[in-house]
Amino acid sequence: MAKTMQERLDEKAEKKYYRTHKKKLDVSPGNVTFHLLNYLFFGVFTLLCIFPFYYLFINTISDNDFVRKGQITLIPRGININNYLAMANVNDLGNAFLVSLARTLLGTALMVAASALVGYLVTKQEMWHRKFWYRFLVITMYFNAGTIPWYLNMSMLGLTNNFLAYIIPGIVAPYNIILVKTYIESIPSELEESALIDGAGFFTVFRKIIWPLCKPILATIAIFGSVGHWNAFTDSLILMQNAPELFTLQHRLYIYLNTTSNLGSLMSTGGSAAAAAAQAAMSTKVLKYTISMVTVIPILVVYPFMNRYFEKGIMLGAVKG
Amino acid sequence: MKEEITVRERSAEKFYYVQRLSALLALFFVFFPGVSPSRICGLIGKNVSLFTSGISYGTMTSAMGRAFDKGWISEGSMILLFVGSLFLLLGIAANAANGCMSLGNLKTKRLGIPFGLGGSAAMVLGMVLVYVSYAQVLQTSRPEKVEPMFPGGYMLYLVLTALLLIVNLLLLFVLPKASADSRYEIEPKYKLFLMFLPFALLCFVFAYLPLYGWRYAFFNYSAGQTLSMENFVGFKWFTSLFSSQATRSDVVRVLRNTLAMSGLGILTSWLPMAFAIFLNEIKTSWFRRMVQTFTTIPNFISWVLVYAVALAIFSTDGFINTMFGGDTNYLMDASHMWLKMLLWGTWKGIGWSAIIYIAGISGIDQQLYEAATVDGAGRFQKMWHITVPGLLPTYFVMLLMSVANILSNGMDQYFVFKNAQNVKTIEVLDLYVYTLGIQNGNIPLSTVIGMVKSVVSVVLLFGANRISKAIRGESIV
Repeated sequence: MAKTMQERLDEKAEKKYYRTHKKKLDVSPGNVTFHLLNYLFFGVFTLLCIFPFYYLFINTISDNDFVRKGQITLIPRGININNYLAMANVNDLGNAFLVSLARTLLGTALMVAASALVGYLVTKQEMWHRKFWYRFLVITMYFNAGTIPWYLNMSMLGLTNNFLAYIIPGIVAPYNIILVKTYIESIPSELEESALIDGAGFFTVFRKIIWPLCKPILATIAIFGSVGHWNAFTDSLILMQNAPELFTLQHRLYIYLNTTSNLGSLMSTGGSAAAAAAQAAMSTKVLKYTISMVTVIPILVVYPFMNRYFEKGIMLGAVKG
Repeated sequence: MKEEITVRERSAEKFYYVQRLSALLALFFVFFPGVSPSRICGLIGKNVSLFTSGISYGTMTSAMGRAFDKGWISEGSMILLFVGSLFLLLGIAANAANGCMSLGNLKTKRLGIPFGLGGSAAMVLGMVLVYVSYAQVLQTSRPEKVEPMFPGGYMLYLVLTALLLIVNLLLLFVLPKASADSRYEIEPKYKLFLMFLPFALLCFVFAYLPLYGWRYAFFNYSAGQTLSMENFVGFKWFTSLFSSQATRSDVVRVLRNTLAMSGLGILTSWLPMAFAIFLNEIKTSWFRRMVQTFTTIPNFISWVLVYAVALAIFSTDGFINTMFGGDTNYLMDASHMWLKMLLWGTWKGIGWSAIIYIAGISGIDQQLYEAATVDGAGRFQKMWHITVPGLLPTYFVMLLMSVANILSNGMDQYFVFKNAQNVKTIEVLDLYVYTLGIQNGNIPLSTVIGMVKSVVSVVLLFGANRISKAIRGESIV
């Protein structure tokens, strides 16, 4: 997973090769046309991917009167953040935000800790019936009882309309356990052995050697886990039917996107004068856009940090038990 | 002397099997409301397990405000019940601890005995308190409101308590004394296993236990009822898939949608590979990095947000109508639904799926390209004869996985885009199961469909794995 020394050396040599052997520019019509089309295609597709977010954004920071008249299409006008300040008055939004935040932090932390520990345990050859127990975990990735039995099971366990339903089922994540296990197996076993000889116990080895060395893979599963928690929608929809105070942010957003009621019934009053003024001029459309932005911003904020973990993450499809 | 000790230890081991099993069962059933020994009246909710009764007095008595006010139940008997449940829980926990310690050496085993005995005593006390509370509730002035009932789980727990008490007493006498100089020890193999055990239990409860819910497929069941042999119907729901005209046409329609959309996905599954290959032709590195960064973003937002984006662009007051004038709500248009869903899926996923191929391309030996250039190969020839063959193994795995998942397209995407106009062509199997089971409450039929789907998926997966083994000599599972 991590680049080996050899790979890094190879890369360096390669770069040097390209610096010293700069190719002559090929200006044949075929080549020029190809590159023109290629750049055009990727340019347009990239625009398609980010423009919607840009469009949402400029509509939320522009003056609400321009938005109402349909004058905001490509450039923001009358920039202010009062719509965002007015979000404090949207019924249930703050609560949903906290629910999503809590499940993301708590759920991810527990999942990562459990994956690290279990991933380490299943590398231990001397564990009682290790092979059996490892398969016991891995097999669960390949079958699924179905939505309804899952729902009935959760309700039998008292996990409907209960915040713990977001956290507990996700603690043991076989996929992440496999990732951690594979990663630990790539660590030279001498490190662990020498610590054992020095008299370190299981938890000392785990805390002082395994945990620090596994940080890259743990960061990867933490990132993918937290994105999953933040984006979770179906579990809120199915399990929290009678507990609207436990709806996740995505669920709330879905409800707001489909609402046809007027603003007055969706928002309370209060807040700063500027926010109140923005609220007075706000349309349901801007309300929907702003809530969408509130939901997407956390993802966009952590996104740059996630980038370097992508390649490890995509290997999700390529590892085996 | 020494030999006698080992003989006694060995016979103690037999008792330990009973002890561990009973403790495990007792611990397991603690979380099941259906077998709670503490549900002594109808006012205690159906979803209150022994665990809940023992840790949360508030939840247990949440429906009793009126009963307390009017004096139908005395608060004292509920407190008795709560304390009794708590004792039961503590006793079970102590017995579980004894079961864990029984994996250690003799000294550790001896340490477990007081836990086992104390725990069994606590369980006996708990059972007595629960019974006293039950006897008090029976005296209520308004039985029709309070609905006192003898909990079915009480007998189960009575048996388990008795077993544990007897076994622990026997162990006290059978187990020899440990020599004074020995230390507390558990063999590493059991120690590791004991650490693993809680996670195995979690995995069992959330991944294996739902399979127990398949039994609903054989009953006439609606939410809130209990299963009994009276409403056992055998394979009625399975045959109704074919015999009932309405169900059959629904299932056929939903299957057609599912297969069409998965099929389109499989037909276009080479797109990410092409995306990666052509992106690789772009030599301006900042541009390439930018494309890669921005086209991956949609993968990380939820389908709800994709829908929000769709609204912002295509709805009546969205971008297209604002920019070009008009007031068409394109999302309400139900034509070409399969194609539209494919496009949204591609928009969301292509940048992400391409990453694995981009990584694959960087793994192809550069000398191959240089040799081909020397031989006079053009750009497309190099793509077709070097890059594509280099990526095919990866593509093959992806393809087989998507074939194995042909019935599982998930419900998020289709749920958020569904509306009254397009419901006929957008409803896939997963969404249909949700609508049928959760919204319309037809639990047996939706369980049947989910069951069939699960079985078919597993068969497909192993079939795909076989094919992969036959062709590439490598398994994908």
